[in-house]
Amino acid sequence: MDNIAGHKSGLTWAVHLSVLFLVLLWIFPTVGLFVSSFRTSDQISSTGWWKALFPTEQNSVYRAPSASDQIEQGGVFVIEGNVFEGSATGDIAHWGVSSREIDAYAPGETADLGEDGRLTLNADGSFRLENTEAFTGSRGQRIFVTATTPPEFTLANYEFMLFDPRNSEGMTKAFFSTLTVTIPSTIIPILIAAFAAYALAWMEFPGRALLIACVVGLLVVPLQLALIPLLKFHNNIGIGKGYLGVWFAHTGFGLPLAIYLLRNYMAGLPRDIIENAKVDGATDFQIFVKIILPLSFPALASFAIFQFLWTWNDLLVAMVFLIDSSGETTVMTRQIVEMLGTRGGDWEILATAAFISMAVPILVFFAMQRYLVRGLLAGSVK
Amino acid sequence: MTLKLMAGVASLALIAGTAGAQELKFAPGEGPFSWDSYEAWAAEAPDLSGQTVTVAGPWLTPEDGFFRDVLAYFEAATGAKAVYTGSDSFEQQIVIDAEAGSPPNIAVFPQPGLAAVLAAKGQLTPLGDDMKQWVTDNYAAGQSWVDLGTYPDASGAPEFYGYFYNVNLKSLVWYSPDNFDDAGYDVPETMEDLKALTEQIAADGETPWCIGLGSGAATGWPATDWVEDMMLRTQPPEVYDQWVSNEMPFNDERVIEAIEEYGWFARNDSFVSGGSGAVASTDFRDSPKGLFSSPPQCYMHRQASFATAFFPEGVEPGVDADFFYLPGFAEKDLGNPVLGGGTVLAITDPTPGAEALMEFLTLPIASEVFMNQSGFLAPHKGVNLDAYRDDILRKQGEILLNATTFRFDGSDLMPAAIGAGTFWTGMVDYTGGKDAKAVADDIQRSWDALK
Repeated sequence: MDNIAGHKSGLTWAVHLSVLFLVLLWIFPTVGLFVSSFRTSDQISSTGWWKALFPTEQNSVYRAPSASDQIEQGGVFVIEGNVFEGSATGDIAHWGVSSREIDAYAPGETADLGEDGRLTLNADGSFRLENTEAFTGSRGQRIFVTATTPPEFTLANYEFMLFDPRNSEGMTKAFFSTLTVTIPSTIIPILIAAFAAYALAWMEFPGRALLIACVVGLLVVPLQLALIPLLKFHNNIGIGKGYLGVWFAHTGFGLPLAIYLLRNYMAGLPRDIIENAKVDGATDFQIFVKIILPLSFPALASFAIFQFLWTWNDLLVAMVFLIDSSGETTVMTRQIVEMLGTRGGDWEILATAAFISMAVPILVFFAMQRYLVRGLLAGSVK
Repeated sequence: MTLKLMAGVASLALIAGTAGAQELKFAPGEGPFSWDSYEAWAAEAPDLSGQTVTVAGPWLTPEDGFFRDVLAYFEAATGAKAVYTGSDSFEQQIVIDAEAGSPPNIAVFPQPGLAAVLAAKGQLTPLGDDMKQWVTDNYAAGQSWVDLGTYPDASGAPEFYGYFYNVNLKSLVWYSPDNFDDAGYDVPETMEDLKALTEQIAADGETPWCIGLGSGAATGWPATDWVEDMMLRTQPPEVYDQWVSNEMPFNDERVIEAIEEYGWFARNDSFVSGGSGAVASTDFRDSPKGLFSSPPQCYMHRQASFATAFFPEGVEPGVDADFFYLPGFAEKDLGNPVLGGGTVLAITDPTPGAEALMEFLTLPIASEVFMNQSGFLAPHKGVNLDAYRDDILRKQGEILLNATTFRFDGSDLMPAAIGAGTFWTGMVDYTGGKDAKAVADDIQRSWDALK
């Protein structure tokens, strides 16, 4: 018996460890994205996010003020400044004045620049460039610094997205517009699908099995196939592009899955209850409202989460059926894409945007997640 | 004269006041802008109060804001409302909208090839002979621009559909003048010099080039630009045209020669930052950053005029960065052909407002307001060069205006399956070590399959 018990606990450990491993693996990119959202685009392109948490040795180039900033002190022309001006401080390991020798000098040493004078850089980053003749030229002397800088994080990305006057108005508008798209697009298909699922599960009529097969078949039809014909149809019947059109589109694209999921769940409800109700003289509508609906709440909730997440994250359907060239309608995803810039190189905005747009779905998910698991398991596995 | 100007400004202010349009970025009469022609146009402009003109295009932040600044002047002059919406998937969206019957009034096409596809389906409206004549007369190398805006209509007859607005210049080599000074290198005047310089930098133990082909789903396009540049430097422009139209097969030895010229730079481990294996995986947006790192990862980077957008924060074009024009072979005597790209404006849903806006956008002011804020180059000979944002852009604008031959980015003119498909992937394969002949054969085969 001991052996078996020991064996069992070993297996439990293995399960726990592999679950932990999978969770870490799953969460890893999200953590990276989260850290990146607090970094500037230069930081993102120069070092990986996993280095952001520790002090790093960085090579940077500083350009001293140009000749126009020189002052004359007792016959010597001087330009002074600090290489850390405007940024965090650090420990200078060494420095140089040429791109070929960036570590030629230690802090406190003086570099002889020949005709261009002498340059002294101290450990605190302050420097003094002096010459017996006046400095000329519009380009300041370059100073190459190798310094260990502490980790640095910024809230600027979030500020830019949420509070910058150029964006905040658009983001607020997009937020409410997305809600306007999402909420009806979640409720309408559930309403229709619940009725349909009840009929397909519990009402006897000829061709029912065929109808179910058709619904399952529709699951595999890619929605891209329907974009142009459906938009043409909307234009012809006068809906055009707008909220009504996008609600219809989301409803249509969501229905097959909704009906399939709900029918499976409802078909699994105990037959006795429904037959009892029938014997007691309940109509189909009464059975549906009083018995089926309350019992299928987990399935309804789990589909609601699915549909909500999909419509919230959707860009394609919104682009085709909602966003016209009047510029009046927009959604979050689209607003974010627009912020990425014409050539899409702004990774820091991408990371920040991902977290901002994630906030609402995460709230919805945690509010309803206990139904999600129950609904899925009850619907599929028996 | 002053009185007239004042009166013009006053009347403009009045119009602006009544229309309640958005604020004008630059006050009329001030700055390096061509106000006279604008005021003359505004005085004649039709009253379009209550109308809305919609424009859709590929520009996003920050360019969309600059274009809206341009539209504000149109609104002030006509009283119409002009709305621009940008999209990163404009190429797909315009096709869906035009097909379904809900297009914007004016579309800004990033590729002439796409405009030609819509024209062939009868979804564009021809601009007419006046506009065609205007482009011929007012654009540098005007005929080249007219040809690029002329496509067969639904019945196959060629019509003039669009003119170019917001052009960029390819074939620029970016470098850091300070790094060149430190190392004692000179800007090369000929392709032979450039190759000698490349070898010298490599011999000095440094890396001459930063090349990055990565661009998500479009990975490979920077290499197609290289090959196009090499094509124009090894063969006359006529051969280039035959290549782009596939009159000359892709696996012709002249094309293979151009591909191998590119390979001379990109396939030598000591010539490119990270070695030739890193070329295809480096993002094109990240690769120019190597010029300015400490110590420099490379000394030269070939990229179009928009490269400045990807320079690290704090790098000032003109001070920390400069460019030279990718030179031609001294021995070939092909002149200095200009390779570029750009966006073409066409009417997708004709209304009086759309026509008025198309007319407005030909005014110098429509280019000047944009180019004052962004890396916008105008082939329009009437614009005031002082309006360019900085000296670097002004120099590029001059290259464009002095061009005798202008050739458009060939991959944008080829059918999408080639120019945005097998040419891209083929170049990635070639950079990765595949034989140039085999790559060219593959691309030609995919082209044959389209016919």
